[in-house]
Amino acid sequence: MVCNTIREILVQAQERFGDKDAVRYKTGKDQIESKTYTQLRKDSEHFSGALKSMEMQGAHVAVVGMTSYYWLVAYLGTVNCSSVAVPLDVALPAAELCELLDRADVSVLVYDEIRADVAELAKKNCPKLKKIISMQKETAEGEIFSMKQLLEESDSGFDAWANPEDLCTIMFTSGTTGKSKGVMLTHRNIAENATCLDMRIPSRTVILSVLPVHHAYCLSMDILKGISLGSIICINDSIMRVAKNIKLFGPDMILMVPMMIESFAKKLEDASALPPEIVKKEVFGERLHTICSGGAYLNPAWITLFEKYGITILQGYGMTECAPVISTNLEWNRKFGSVGKLMPNCAAKVVDEEIWVKGSSVMQGYYQMEKETKETLTEDGWLRTGDLGYVDEDGFIFLTGRKKNLIITKNGENVSPEEIENKLSEHRLVQEVLARESEGVIEAEIFPDLEYAEKQGVADISAELQKIIDDYNKEAPLYKKVAKLKVRDQEFEKTAARKIKRC
Amino acid sequence: MLEKLKEIIVNYVEVEPEQITAESRFVEDLGFTSFDFMSMLGEIEEEFDVEVDQREAAGLRTVGEAAEYLGKL
Repeated sequence: MVCNTIREILVQAQERFGDKDAVRYKTGKDQIESKTYTQLRKDSEHFSGALKSMEMQGAHVAVVGMTSYYWLVAYLGTVNCSSVAVPLDVALPAAELCELLDRADVSVLVYDEIRADVAELAKKNCPKLKKIISMQKETAEGEIFSMKQLLEESDSGFDAWANPEDLCTIMFTSGTTGKSKGVMLTHRNIAENATCLDMRIPSRTVILSVLPVHHAYCLSMDILKGISLGSIICINDSIMRVAKNIKLFGPDMILMVPMMIESFAKKLEDASALPPEIVKKEVFGERLHTICSGGAYLNPAWITLFEKYGITILQGYGMTECAPVISTNLEWNRKFGSVGKLMPNCAAKVVDEEIWVKGSSVMQGYYQMEKETKETLTEDGWLRTGDLGYVDEDGFIFLTGRKKNLIITKNGENVSPEEIENKLSEHRLVQEVLARESEGVIEAEIFPDLEYAEKQGVADISAELQKIIDDYNKEAPLYKKVAKLKVRDQEFEKTAARKIKRC
Repeated sequence: MLEKLKEIIVNYVEVEPEQITAESRFVEDLGFTSFDFMSMLGEIEEEFDVEVDQREAAGLRTVGEAAEYLGKL
């Protein structure tokens, strides 16, 4: 069922699954507590009621915290009553978070006590902020409200109802360059993204949510899609404990980013001599059958590897500006190396090799950034994704790189460095690689895996790397051939998100 | 603690125990990804029955720092 407000997702799930578990989380070592769909709806409505009694209905409400039941209550309670949720990255420095609170015109801050420093600083530095709510305090302290107390003392008496076209959430993109941008998404943008595609996931599927909840991918796919299907959403308390929590919660499905998949792939490769059934049970538990992947490039070899262990990896593609999913592979409809078929609410076209998309999930623009909005959205509603690629005859999307990284060779041919880098990275000796234009030809700069070289007894690393380049060149069309090799003795400088800085 | 830690580290990255020193940096020298590093801490929690504080742990850069931190738990 396609929903067009987030409230509709919650209400229809509560009506169908009322007393069944909606959320499970840890309260101590190996101790699990759960909340039902009825409790989730009631608590979120009480939070809406509390916003009303504070005269904050319609205000911008920031939520800063790790994934938790109270985080979900604050988010759903905010958007229930036509207020605007601003989920922020719990790992950012306090000063940066205060700047975002200010830029997003936030009046209410809901925070996790692990970031009590943010509440302290915001009191002093954010004049627009009117109310501060702690997720853990049992009672109010000074000017800080206790969320638990508010939920107990409030009722569901809110009276502002969100319409599909109302602004629902402002999400900040981390962005590799420049100032982070607040992506404005309406109820329809988000709710339709979460509900328009039937992935044939049965109700009561157990999902383990491991990604940061302020990311659009986690919020839309783990939380809102999970709720819409009547799933049991299990909260991973720390990225340290994914393996342990898989055993504890026994999930059927997990959403991951490629870095996590790669880490599990290494474990599988190390255990390749053992029978797959035993390894599968040990690493993924008995039930896990599907991993949805998004957020970055995934080496297709992992998909084949995981299949041996009975795990299907469904690679998708999206961006916060599209709330966020644009395309995904499905178990019964997928193509190797592609990022899947377009969502039913999304159209795409290719303009100068760049993918443009249009549909009910495309954002309204960047909050108070008119220039950047105009650069990204066309007047007739197309979103320029900045990603290069093509759509094949069956409607599957294949990505080849980022527009801003494009190499233009002397004779005017366009080459995506990522395409070359991904190919070269398939070799174990290549730890890090950047491809770029240099004096009219393509140069690859490689930082070799020195440990691997030593282990394998590679005496002349440069010669071995040149051999890898020569092998690549044999298959590559003339304009994509790598003419120069530069070997580094130090790894590349990285951004905060551990991506190699291109310069 | 350092020796035990080395034994665990080699399960995550392609390094021989004798190549690891107290000065080895997890990411730069040993090739850990942030997810590998966090997963290893989870394993250590299990193995030694301790609770690691994720925020403090995120600041550990070298094997020596980690051994010292874990030794105090």
